[in-house]
Amino acid sequence: MPILEIKHISKFFGGLSANSDVSFEIGHGMIMGLIGPNGAGKTTLFNCITGYYPPSRGDVVFDGRSMHGLQPDKVCKLGMARTWQKVRPLAGMSVVDNVMVGALCRTNSLKKARDMAMEQIMVVGLGHRSGFLAGGLPIGERKKLEVARVLATQPKLLLLDEVMGGLNPAESEELIQLILAIKNLGITQMVIEHDMKAIMRISDRIVVLNSGEKLAEGTPREIVGNPYVVAAYLGSE
Amino acid sequence: MKPLFKNIGVLPAMAGLVVIVLLFLLPRFVESTYALHIMILIFISIVMGSSWNLLGGYTGQYSVGHCAYFGMGAYTTMMLMQFRQVPPWLGIWVGMAVALLVALIIGSICFRLRGPYFVLASIAVAEIFRVSALNLKDLTNGAEGILATDIPPLKIGGTIITDFSSKVPFYYTGLVFVLLVILVTWLLQNSKLGYYFQAIREDQDAAHSLGISLTIYKNVALSISAVLTSLAGSLYAVYVGFIDPSTVLALDLSVQIVLICIIGGIGTIFGPVIGALVLVPLSEALRSNVIGESLINSGVVSADSAFGGFLTENLSHAHVLIYGVLVVVVILFMPDGVLGFAKKLAFGKRKEAA
Repeated sequence: MPILEIKHISKFFGGLSANSDVSFEIGHGMIMGLIGPNGAGKTTLFNCITGYYPPSRGDVVFDGRSMHGLQPDKVCKLGMARTWQKVRPLAGMSVVDNVMVGALCRTNSLKKARDMAMEQIMVVGLGHRSGFLAGGLPIGERKKLEVARVLATQPKLLLLDEVMGGLNPAESEELIQLILAIKNLGITQMVIEHDMKAIMRISDRIVVLNSGEKLAEGTPREIVGNPYVVAAYLGSE
Repeated sequence: MKPLFKNIGVLPAMAGLVVIVLLFLLPRFVESTYALHIMILIFISIVMGSSWNLLGGYTGQYSVGHCAYFGMGAYTTMMLMQFRQVPPWLGIWVGMAVALLVALIIGSICFRLRGPYFVLASIAVAEIFRVSALNLKDLTNGAEGILATDIPPLKIGGTIITDFSSKVPFYYTGLVFVLLVILVTWLLQNSKLGYYFQAIREDQDAAHSLGISLTIYKNVALSISAVLTSLAGSLYAVYVGFIDPSTVLALDLSVQIVLICIIGGIGTIFGPVIGALVLVPLSEALRSNVIGESLINSGVVSADSAFGGFLTENLSHAHVLIYGVLVVVVILFMPDGVLGFAKKLAFGKRKEAA
């Protein structure tokens, strides 16, 4: 059984359809890449899956359970966590406090939460920053903080929305290694990314969205060879 | 209990203990009823400021309608005492229950809104209570207000503990309430609830995505805040002995509550304490025109000169204006409140270091 089934999801904003009839499945432990030109509806799809928007049509089944009508906090408790394209650090709190907020999703004890938080901070390599205010971190470290914070909620499925956006190549490489390390922990991931090289490297499968519709799905090799995808990105003659 | 206390150094804990002991001994040495009066006003301000701080400072929901909960405490306690002969130390509990109920109703409506819209809704709802108290004359005496004729003496097992004839029992009640709100704030700051409140303040959507139910935790914050605010209201009503809608349910009061926190420092345990210590004496000094009189008495300005005349005649009536200007100055130059300003002075510019 797949961990996530997206069944005929449509999302309309007034007359504009941001997603229309998108369906695909994600198997346990894999990395699913989600790509598409700007405005293709990738982030909208994330928002529909995680409960920020109720989908206009269709349903999301996570771990055999329909997510219909569930609020984001409930979705997180069930084990599906997301990061934000525009990072959202809890700026006035320290790095460790940020991650503790995530960990408190699974425990009521501050001490336990602190231990869990430190563990994740070490995983993403922010150990030297744990006491710093989150608002003072540079962008690369904010992205890592974002990942540490969702990892602390102990997700089964992680949705990463452009974690490499705005990073330099060295920082991107660190995040690629981090995503692969998370995969080794057995956590399923869906990754939105604009960096084609990166997404081809890390994804087991890729779904391409264009103008809100699913344009193609397949292995990275199939996607690269797909004439529709090439047309969507480069324009057809 | 050990983890609770590990965040406090030995020195501040000792200093705090000394201050508390001194405050408890104060009425033995201070005869002046005016001094006790000012202390009681400060205590009431600290209680209402700290209560607001839990919602505004820690959870980031700026309610400018907190007079509703203050008024609920004041009116419930006063009405029970005057019309039903229920002693205030029992009425206060009913006041808290009413404030809690009101908070849950207001919260379930207003928390659908965010940011400035929530602020406006909170003002609107508080106005509903003021207008209701004004017009439900049979229940509340309307604009006439309620005058406390006599407070029943507090008896335990037949012996009279106090008959509330002096200010001392109010002083101790106020002090205990202050210690209670500070304790609650401190416990919250070191709990899961406190973390969740602050996460909501910093970024609602991020908090939501980390498994925090916004509806539940915002309402919890409001409920705690409202119940504690009603304590301040009840104490005020019984102490002053007179309430009407334009004093305990007015927008002025709501703004005053917010100012205590802004001046002192939002989202800190001792911010409201500092705010009350600054604002209450300041407004008292301006009201009684201490500055003008001392200038004249010390001979700096002659009472017969034009400026002296201005000081005695005009300035004493302009205390609200001066108060307003001073508040603006503090906000302009100390955006983090007095406490934040003092910290910055003490530790240098931490932000740059970070």
